[in-house]
Amino acid sequence: MPPATEPEFDPMGIFKALDRARVTFIVIGGLARVLQGTDELTNGVDIVPAMREENLRRLDVALGELNARRRDGKKTLAVGDVDVLDLETDLGELKIVPEPAGTRGYDDLRRAASREHLGSGVRVAIASVGDLARMTATLGREQDEPALRMLHRVAELDRSIGHGLEL
Amino acid sequence: MLIREARLRAGLSQGELSERSGKDRAQIARWERDVVQPSFETLRELVRACGLDLAPALVPYDVDEEGETRLREKLLRSPQDRLQAMLEERRR
Repeated sequence: MPPATEPEFDPMGIFKALDRARVTFIVIGGLARVLQGTDELTNGVDIVPAMREENLRRLDVALGELNARRRDGKKTLAVGDVDVLDLETDLGELKIVPEPAGTRGYDDLRRAASREHLGSGVRVAIASVGDLARMTATLGREQDEPALRMLHRVAELDRSIGHGLEL
Repeated sequence: MLIREARLRAGLSQGELSERSGKDRAQIARWERDVVQPSFETLRELVRACGLDLAPALVPYDVDEEGETRLREKLLRSPQDRLQAMLEERRR
């Protein structure tokens, strides 16, 4: 039975649960864009897990700890059965996306991803600005256009920083 | 971003694009990661090697000064600070 009220969104709590279970994953979606510097609000955590069997077992443990349940009401939490496993947890929304649009999944994204400290000992891998733009552009959704423009601008400003120019 | 998109749309590996375009594979990887930028002519050569072409067009450029300032401020922060700022903004 889902809770009567929306749970408080606690991305750090979700990351800590994934970390405790030693899940290997990359953060994508709106939260990854925010972590990379875009100016937007988001309500959930989207991740691309490594699809190795052992990692999926660890993910299953974390999902149990988070009391994850599918938002479409179905019972199975098997990753890979659907394009996006859309979950509600006690700490907010969690989407598991084995192969995001325009990518070939974890192994494709990990090369350009960066690992960042988020406090409290939590360190996560975040998809690169270029890969986030690729995913957002491939989805082709009108509502994502402002985010896509911001990603392109973030990439330009990042390059300016890389060349030692003032922001 | 355009090089990678063109290459993937053509179903080519970086090695195959290197062979087709005559450009170094490692350099293609750097361009794709946005580490460095190719010249416009090189970009067009690479895109054409994928069987596509660029169609440059002049479009209005409206600068959102307020948005630009916020973006620059955020880029000076750490990912940890960006996350905390977003969560605080959600609570308001």
